Amino acid sequence: MSSVNESAAASGAARESMLDLHEIQATVLRPRPAPYFGTHVLLRIDEPSAGRELFRRLTPHIDSADSWWSAKTPWLSVGISYAGLKALGLPEDSLQSFPEAFRQGMAARARQLGDAGLNDPKNWDAAYGKGEVHIGVQAFSDSEEDRRRILGIAREQIDGLSVSILAMQDFGAQPGDLNSLGYKDGIDQPAIEGSGFDPLPGQGQPIKPGEFILGYPGEAGFPLPMPQPDILGRNGTFVGFRKYQSRVGAFNRFLQAHGSNEAERELLAAKLVGRWRSGAPLVLAPDVDNPSLGADAQRNNDFDYANDSRGRQAPFGCHIRRMNPRDSKLTRLTDVKIHRLIRRGTTYGPPYDRNALSEADDEVPRGAIFLFISAKAMATIEFLQQEWINDGNFIGIGDERDPIIGLQEEDAKFTIPRDPVRRLVRGIETFNVLRGGEYFFMPSISALKWLAGLHQ
Amino acid sequence: MASQSQTAPASETELTGAQKIQQIREFFADASDVGKRALENVLKELSGQVSEPPPPIESAGRVGARLGKRSELTMIVPLVPGGAKRLRTFLQLLGGNLSPGASKVGTLHDMRFVFIDNDTRLLFATSFDGDWDTYIDDFIALIPDYLDLMDSAWEGWPGIRDPGAKDYLVKHQITAEGWFVANPELTLAEIQRQERVSKAVDEFLDKVQ
Repeated sequence: MSSVNESAAASGAARESMLDLHEIQATVLRPRPAPYFGTHVLLRIDEPSAGRELFRRLTPHIDSADSWWSAKTPWLSVGISYAGLKALGLPEDSLQSFPEAFRQGMAARARQLGDAGLNDPKNWDAAYGKGEVHIGVQAFSDSEEDRRRILGIAREQIDGLSVSILAMQDFGAQPGDLNSLGYKDGIDQPAIEGSGFDPLPGQGQPIKPGEFILGYPGEAGFPLPMPQPDILGRNGTFVGFRKYQSRVGAFNRFLQAHGSNEAERELLAAKLVGRWRSGAPLVLAPDVDNPSLGADAQRNNDFDYANDSRGRQAPFGCHIRRMNPRDSKLTRLTDVKIHRLIRRGTTYGPPYDRNALSEADDEVPRGAIFLFISAKAMATIEFLQQEWINDGNFIGIGDERDPIIGLQEEDAKFTIPRDPVRRLVRGIETFNVLRGGEYFFMPSISALKWLAGLHQ
Repeated sequence: MASQSQTAPASETELTGAQKIQQIREFFADASDVGKRALENVLKELSGQVSEPPPPIESAGRVGARLGKRSELTMIVPLVPGGAKRLRTFLQLLGGNLSPGASKVGTLHDMRFVFIDNDTRLLFATSFDGDWDTYIDDFIALIPDYLDLMDSAWEGWPGIRDPGAKDYLVKHQITAEGWFVANPELTLAEIQRQERVSKAVDEFLDKVQ
């Protein structure tokens, strides 16, 4: 049972939704189960008619977000890239109605995303960035058995069609749902107005649904432009799919180099993220970890930075303060509500190993595939990459980059404010390297049926 | 008129230093004697520098030039009848310097408003940190009325909330051919931080004496 499920039961907070939940795909709103098991499948359509047949077969098995807070598992969802929409035979005027960055694809937007050096598309895994990934199918489940069963259902729909499987990646993070660097993750998600569920403590003011789902008013008071025709765009959204390889050896070597004992290393690890590995936020547990706080969904996100305006608890440059600055003082006129993403982090590979110290450990296939979901995912990911991840100017720390997902330059540093003088930790490396990425459109259930019926 | 060039000026300089010098002499062949003499004097001084790689001017997003962290934006926009008068009065109301509203933005180094062609057009020039359209959505969300108040004097302005607003701005923007910044790596936030540090150091030195 998921934590949202538990908290819903505890607070009785479900209410009537203003969204067409039966139209929106489950993955958009339904949180990851706990524990979680799943698989990503990447497909190429080799004949347009086969692609349309796949959607005819697959659509009845795609789950909607109906009653998303009382999560039913397992479920399937599906996204289509721009190359995929073309391969399905979508008419030209409809293709042109998609945002430019989506049409170009994630690899072609490397400059805007700052995906250079180690993260350059030319270093990506073979399947990605070539315009060959047409469809991404996601299977989510709370048991290995159900994962296999639902993946089997998905594969049955593919069998016998001129559709190629380019990559399959199982995910899950047992024991304990910890990510590849050993942290509890996925805690802070944006609250969406009218989605049928009261925000958890600390989730902040609910954000207008149009920021996350097409066809509803956004924060500026009007809906974003939608792909056309209406039936195709409405209740759909965009997904930035990014596959990271965790360099666990480099991460551990960094902690070893800057912490002389376990307690110092764990405090440094917490300072990088802004939370202890348990999920307990530094603002609420500044000196020692508090695992029961970390595990409590009602409390582990219930904070702001009003009493930490100098970053003595959560450094300005730590991962969670960057990704959601809350009430931090920013150097630029910024509306923090319009730069949020729903994210579904899916960890793959063997669990974090604190004794892994070698360079060979950096290449053990393990890391996370993220689904970053928003009605303007392309623009938001570009903003985050440029401003909040690979820069520090927005929060007054010059050139420093996100210590967890930033692309680091030579001799990168991380500032830990403290009294009487700050501590400057050098030798931050790129601990998570990008190994692939694609943009998908995640259509509504009706749009999937419409796509299946093209050219009939 | 506006925005013929969507690319950064530096991208087309494939000529060698000697070729560049020959080309500029050709273009000055019909210049005045004063101009020709000045060119030769300047070339003497620059002879060592022209063959060096040009400063790394990049594109500031969709349009405009960027050097290091600083971008420029230059626009010439047609004004509606009476627009210049309204805008001039508004600027005067704010003492002509738009402070403190403009300083809230946090990235604007300067702005100038120049009425040209008998008040029928406005030359607007500014320099700021980062790319052109990175924060435009924040402006739309947080200060839409300031933008619309200023821009309603512009002919054909669709309103900042209109999906066509960004295209309107791009259409009237002209990328600068020359763009010099003395400290291209210093953002406004960094300058302000250094001001604070400098003051604090002075206070500290006063105290330890």
